[in-house]
Amino acid sequence: MSFSALPETDFFGRGEELAGLSRRVLRADKDVAQSAVLSGPLGIGKTELLKQLFGYLFWRQDRVVPFYYTVNSALLSAAAFSKDYLTRYLCQRLAFEKKEQSLFYLEGLSIDGLSALVEEREAVWAREILDRFIRSSGDPLDAMRVAVSAPYQSALATGMPAAVLIDEFHRLKDLHIGDTRDPRLVSLFEAPMSFRKTPHIITGSAAEIHEMPVSRGLERVSVPPLGPEDAASRALSLFRASEAGGTAPLHVLSRLGGNPFYIACVLRRACEKKDPSEIDFRKAYAREVLEGPLALSWSSVLKSHFPGPGLRRIALTLAHKIHHTNEPLSCQRIAKSLSLTDDQAEATAHALHLAGFVRGEFGVFRAVEDGVLRDVIDFLYRRELLGKSSHDLEEELLNNLLPEKEGVVRFDMILPMVKEAELVAAQCLDQIGKNLNLNQDAVGQLQIAVIEACINAIEHGKGTEKKIYVSVASDGDRLEVSIESAGREFVVQESGEPFGDREGIKAPGRGWGIKLMKRFVDEVRFEKTARGMKTVLVKNLAKTAGVQKEDRTGRE
Amino acid sequence: MMPRGYINDLGAERLEQTSEQFLGKGTKKLVVNFTDVQYINTIGVSIFTGIVQKALDYNSQLCFTNMKKVHREVFEMVGLIKHVKVFKDEEAALTYLNERGRHDE
Repeated sequence: MSFSALPETDFFGRGEELAGLSRRVLRADKDVAQSAVLSGPLGIGKTELLKQLFGYLFWRQDRVVPFYYTVNSALLSAAAFSKDYLTRYLCQRLAFEKKEQSLFYLEGLSIDGLSALVEEREAVWAREILDRFIRSSGDPLDAMRVAVSAPYQSALATGMPAAVLIDEFHRLKDLHIGDTRDPRLVSLFEAPMSFRKTPHIITGSAAEIHEMPVSRGLERVSVPPLGPEDAASRALSLFRASEAGGTAPLHVLSRLGGNPFYIACVLRRACEKKDPSEIDFRKAYAREVLEGPLALSWSSVLKSHFPGPGLRRIALTLAHKIHHTNEPLSCQRIAKSLSLTDDQAEATAHALHLAGFVRGEFGVFRAVEDGVLRDVIDFLYRRELLGKSSHDLEEELLNNLLPEKEGVVRFDMILPMVKEAELVAAQCLDQIGKNLNLNQDAVGQLQIAVIEACINAIEHGKGTEKKIYVSVASDGDRLEVSIESAGREFVVQESGEPFGDREGIKAPGRGWGIKLMKRFVDEVRFEKTARGMKTVLVKNLAKTAGVQKEDRTGRE
Repeated sequence: MMPRGYINDLGAERLEQTSEQFLGKGTKKLVVNFTDVQYINTIGVSIFTGIVQKALDYNSQLCFTNMKKVHREVFEMVGLIKHVKVFKDEEAALTYLNERGRHDE
């Protein structure tokens, strides 16, 4: 197999997609094939799928000629692209006849060299196409028309359909004549794409392709993430390839969301050690998010859409906001919350959508379901805009990736910021205490602390997201409750005491709340989070049980 | 007086108004029964501070009964307990208040 594709044995979880695409293009010999765009986030494996499809079509059948082409950013003048596209097509078309792999690698072949090759093979149809190309070489638009319709023309002349597989198709939006980008150029693909004997399967940024003039005739084929078993198999094959021992921890693997590129980045880094341990995998993940090929790939996408530092700051702020808001945001809301004009908000959000950082549908924007991307955005935002040190952020990532302790029972709830919402949390805690057979006194004390923490969250809540996120976790020894909201800080981080000059604590009784929390639980933490503020209350149940036991003994 | 449910701003304010009415009419003995109090927050507690202060101003005796352990701890923390008498139940509070009444006579 050429083009650096994976060995078939290491290509996991894509059997269905590969079979579907093969069936699609093989229908070309019955004149019913339809062109398609492969859609999926960065790293999901669209390119690999296309390469595997090419390999299958090249070696395992004789009905449809496969042509594989990767759009090169350095060859986007109409003249350069046309020559490269036509040369590669003719070479691969000739290679297919006798399955000659060596013809793939004729890099930098001149038109004269190509003519000689065509003469040698006595390919009359190719000679005609080449002659037409040479005659039209004075007009870049005409030359390009000849090049992109070469598969179509060869199919007409020989009766042999061609499957055109183009990777990074979105780059063609930058096709130009002289220094001027010309949208007419990419629209030249429209006719050959609609021809049923030359199905085109293209990949690249689906959002950008969607805005190109060719998108009308393309069916969208989604490439989903790998399932857990296929992700584990992919990880195992990477282990074998690097001759490392052990297995990838499930909590790290699941964080990678079945994205083959993420899996490869983290596994390769972890396997730099011979027998990587659990912490080595977490470190590998953190390093990849901070500075590895994984981070670089997202950074370069961001840079290409937001080249200047000012735009980049706005983009990161917006991406961060969208990824930490649980509902879609309209441009008006974005403009208001980031103090932008409607046009600025629209342009930034739209560019983030094209870059794959957010989803944009029906005039609203929401986060893409990609925890790794969220970590990358968090890191960039907090380092570049909040000035946090990479070291601190790496430590945070390492801790966030810690596996959940076995036997932990967890309850999550979202409360609206309405009057007495705190009682819902308190009541839930009561029921959770009963379900888990927890010490009632401890639960009672924790209820008082939770009520105060929720009141603080409501009092200090800001922004448009009027919600409180309450999480209760117990492992039998500890009961931990976190109360998070989009609130401003209400304590001095160093001392843990409430700010003295805030409106909130001037109200009767306020200011006692934090003292009360500290009295009734064993640990109170206030954390500044991406969402806002989080209060974490920890009650050691073993200790409470011990005290109760002592109390009873004393009374007896 | 028997407050119920959640002692927050509204609940405690109602209690404050009721206690003021009694104190204003010359009542010298007030018993607050916490049996039906489910939750209490610091806003509610702060209003209780006002009730205690008024009872002291009117030279009346304020008793709390049937308190859950955790509620008693809340009042201890804010320093209110030293100004009130706490009893296991109403009967104990009334016995104390009657005996004290006789003693005062």
